[in-house]
Amino acid sequence: MQGNHTLCIAPTGTGKTESAMLPVFHKLLREKRDGTGSGKGFRALYITPLRSLNRDILSRLEWWCGKLGLTVGVRHGDTKQAERTRQSKNPPDLLITTPETIQALFMGKNLREHLKNVRYVVIDEIHELAGSKRGAQLSVALERIVEQSGEFQRIALSATVGNPDDVARFLCSRRPYHLVNIPAAPRLSIDVKYAGGEFSKQAKFVSKLIDKNESVLVFVNTRTTAEALGQQLYDRGDVEVHHGSLSREVRIEAEEKFKDRRIKALICTSSMELGLDIGHIGHVLQFGSPREVSRLLQRVGRAGHRLDTVSRGTILATGFDDLVESLVIAKKATSNECEDVVMPVNAADVLANQVSAMALEYGEIPQERIAEIVGRSAVFSDYDALLEKVFSQLEYHRLIRRESGTVIRTGRCRKYMYSNLSMIHDEKKVKILDILTRRIVGTLDESFVISWIHTGAVFVTKGQLWQVITVEDGMVKVEPAVRVKGELPSWEGEQIPVPYAVAIESGKIRRKRKLGKYPADRLSEDFISGFLKGMDDSRSPVASDMLMTIEHYDEGVVINLCGGHKANEALGRLVSILLSARFGTTVGVEIGAYRILLRLPREIGAVDVLETLNSIDPEHIQGLLGIALKRTAIFKWKMVQTAKKFGAIDADADYEKFSMHRLIDLFDGTVIQEEAFRELFINYMDVASAGEIVRRIVSGELDMQIAPLSSLGREGLTSSRDMIPPPATDKAVVNAVKRRIEDDNIILFCMNCRKWKSKTVVSRVPDDDIVCPVCGARLIAALKPYEEHMIDTARKKEKGADERAIEVRMLRNANIVLSSGKKAVRAFAARGVGPDTASRIIGTFKDGDEFYLEILKAERNYIRTHRFWN
Amino acid sequence: MLSSCRRIYTPPVTVFYINIMKPEFIPKGPAIVIEEDDRRILVVADTHFGAESELKRRGVHIMSNTPERLLRLLECIEVSGADLLLLLGDVKHSVPVTSWQEMKEMPDILTAIRSKIDLKVLPGNHDAGIERFLRDDEILPRNGVMINKTGYMHGHTFPSTDITGGLIIAGHHHPVVNLYDDVGCFMRGAPAFVLAEIDDGSMNMKDCRPGTRVLFVPAFFELAGGMDVCELKKSGLSPLSRCIIEDTADVFLADGTYINTIGGISADKSD
Repeated sequence: MQGNHTLCIAPTGTGKTESAMLPVFHKLLREKRDGTGSGKGFRALYITPLRSLNRDILSRLEWWCGKLGLTVGVRHGDTKQAERTRQSKNPPDLLITTPETIQALFMGKNLREHLKNVRYVVIDEIHELAGSKRGAQLSVALERIVEQSGEFQRIALSATVGNPDDVARFLCSRRPYHLVNIPAAPRLSIDVKYAGGEFSKQAKFVSKLIDKNESVLVFVNTRTTAEALGQQLYDRGDVEVHHGSLSREVRIEAEEKFKDRRIKALICTSSMELGLDIGHIGHVLQFGSPREVSRLLQRVGRAGHRLDTVSRGTILATGFDDLVESLVIAKKATSNECEDVVMPVNAADVLANQVSAMALEYGEIPQERIAEIVGRSAVFSDYDALLEKVFSQLEYHRLIRRESGTVIRTGRCRKYMYSNLSMIHDEKKVKILDILTRRIVGTLDESFVISWIHTGAVFVTKGQLWQVITVEDGMVKVEPAVRVKGELPSWEGEQIPVPYAVAIESGKIRRKRKLGKYPADRLSEDFISGFLKGMDDSRSPVASDMLMTIEHYDEGVVINLCGGHKANEALGRLVSILLSARFGTTVGVEIGAYRILLRLPREIGAVDVLETLNSIDPEHIQGLLGIALKRTAIFKWKMVQTAKKFGAIDADADYEKFSMHRLIDLFDGTVIQEEAFRELFINYMDVASAGEIVRRIVSGELDMQIAPLSSLGREGLTSSRDMIPPPATDKAVVNAVKRRIEDDNIILFCMNCRKWKSKTVVSRVPDDDIVCPVCGARLIAALKPYEEHMIDTARKKEKGADERAIEVRMLRNANIVLSSGKKAVRAFAARGVGPDTASRIIGTFKDGDEFYLEILKAERNYIRTHRFWN
Repeated sequence: MLSSCRRIYTPPVTVFYINIMKPEFIPKGPAIVIEEDDRRILVVADTHFGAESELKRRGVHIMSNTPERLLRLLECIEVSGADLLLLLGDVKHSVPVTSWQEMKEMPDILTAIRSKIDLKVLPGNHDAGIERFLRDDEILPRNGVMINKTGYMHGHTFPSTDITGGLIIAGHHHPVVNLYDDVGCFMRGAPAFVLAEIDDGSMNMKDCRPGTRVLFVPAFFELAGGMDVCELKKSGLSPLSRCIIEDTADVFLADGTYINTIGGISADKSD
């Protein structure tokens, strides 16, 4: 009311919007009456993260504005051209908009004028923005508005967060602020249930809960679950599904039906988390662990929806990990221990975007002024060097020019800004065409195509295997594939990670097995103790906050580690990098919140993994990850996204004829690469917690044990997969050659009786004794298929000089096989290796890989001197 | 017991060749040197100078990488000790119109090369308009030419009858190999040489002599998208690639390491 910058933290449904806007309306009216508020232009901006929220807010505020004689408008991506023109001619007093449209306002000459009168800016659901690059961009945009209008009052509305002061500083930067915090916890009642592991039983539970309540909002974590649950409950006739993949019409219809009480339950994903008004919600059911405390608070907070009522929610846990985790999160929620919002500091792509935007806005702008504007925001600090790098990168891509300290826009700049208003990466979808049936079988995310798809690659979609024939005409052309060796890429997309603190506390429950403090009912308690007893009975050690177990399974090793997704991601990748460097093989890695699964070749076992874990120096984690990430799919994907924000790659770029892998190498050492790493280390991995885990291993606080596969290790993994290829390919090439030689055809011929002849492949030749089954002699020659004619020569009674020579060669061959056994057979299977070369190779007394390297050398020599000419 | 190192005199047995053609691999190219009749020819395929302007048109804004590529080419010339550089086509990139970048860069590129070595070009499908940069005696016929006992061509057309019946060295296909181990793909898009026999029956060409073999040279252009050797035949990219016999087609890495036959690699992938 007094005009202070204010952050208001309150649960949804407590009338936040009105409480923020009524004082603003009051002051707008007073200014109008006093005449201080004359002049054209927007007087107040109301910014929300979503278009649908904009529409909702508009319908609520229109009523007030109508009564008060104020004008209100909404402007975002969906706004029609006529409405836009009207706004530009007659700007409303209050404009409801999104952060991206704010960017567009700076670009029009008239609209920019209208910004000069802004007195109030309200940001709704600021917690959704503050932790992302959209927020960082908005933070700079606010300072750019200050340049036009002078200081204005900042008001923000937020759901519960762990660090309200940081969010307030994000809003106001160094300006003084006022914090209004209404905790959610006293108004919450959350219970945790377990209804068995089968989906049908879980669906039955959901159905019963719907019966018992007047209206229920069912939150699920993925769209697939939403669809599956909707299918199961479809016959009830009073349930609808609501998620981001459905068309807007379908979603709005579902919302309306729920609002009008035509249906009793709505199954939804995070699409319903924000404060969209869909009428009274009696109860919230969270299907599966909510993963984060803040998410649970936000979701359950939707129930009740009046100041005096209690929000009631139920978590239906679906398995052991899920149940334990749900209990931890429910307890943290009722004691108001919410996660922090982590602001992206010094995001270089946001800086690049805003530097270009300012160049466009002003035409020419001194570097110092850009630095000054950026420096006033809360999301950049100590950024001088970074700004200089961004300037020169943008110059390189010709988005700006610089002349004696002034930044000047170029022709490309406007085009760039039009396609880069948003910091959200919009993913191009690439169609998959089955060339046999000439039918489109689905779509892939562009990022998946760039990082995984190359001619010959095999991937899974729609439950079927496909092999890529080519990528052209903007389509991936495929044919059905047969079973293929190696791990198959499948893109799980970005999902909600379980934080380190939650995972550690879940580990503590596994260790202490006391559920007193947690809201567990009898059934859940029995299930947990039953599961752990099962582990004890099979003498399996239980991984906990103080124990990591390493278990063997048929394709590799499972590390049971309660570290949460991001710490496990960092540690899992680190271990695979080290293993792949040490053994020269590819290592497949899959990450979950409680386990890391490593796909390994047979020769690497749990002991090697344990040794590797022991050898990690916590100081080197970030450095090692930096080197090795460069070869992974996730890094390439991030690089392309970041390069787009720098204007290096257009949003609609088409690079199918070129090698994206090598293109990315051109950005080595640039600020684009730095930013890709920064984001990966903050958003995808928790390097700090991984370091903490390693330190606890070193200090002995976290014990490690090798164990056979337990029911804990067998629990499913549901997260990202990637493969870490070895740094040097020597070993891998050797493996390929080894495999080729093992599969090579070879003819064994007895030089003693000269009767026995056997066509076989190298792998089937016995390891020790190579004996003639006819005469029992050990004088066996190993011949290549094209040397078969030599056998006829050897069998001849009468021989000429040339034929004698051949016989002698064969005898030498057999002698070498006699003295060196299978090793000799392998040597003779190689291209162009005769007795001379074979005895030389064997004479080096090399074993294992070095033996094959000798074979490779011999082959290369043969190719150089003999191969091509005939 | 007989010892394996007992020396027995063995006269050379396989003396099929009269004149040995010795190939040498230059991994940093990739490029290959062919020595025949005391002549050393450096063979380089698909340099695609000027491709960056097309990348720019397609929405990828990078500076010209010509300086790096030219330097690499000059280094190859240096280490090869060759007396002729044979460019197997797609020397430049932009078709049908020669780009501004090419107009600016091509003369300097060629001058730098000529100062080191004699140069001949077998024009490829990207070489429309290259005549303006070359001397007449530097341009060879599109459908191939015989030098000593080896045929050379870019590879997008039918070969001239003269060069069939023996070894043809060609570019155009940008062959690469992807190798897999037990866990996954460890080598992606490594440039590869392919030496294949041609099934002249399916060549669909009147006077194709039997016994034709082809050596496909990988692209020198570092940003080239590659053609997986296992897809080479299926791709139908050219008359030659359509008719290769996969089971006996040998695949080599840029340094001459023999990997396997195409048939063997394909089988490996699916067993």
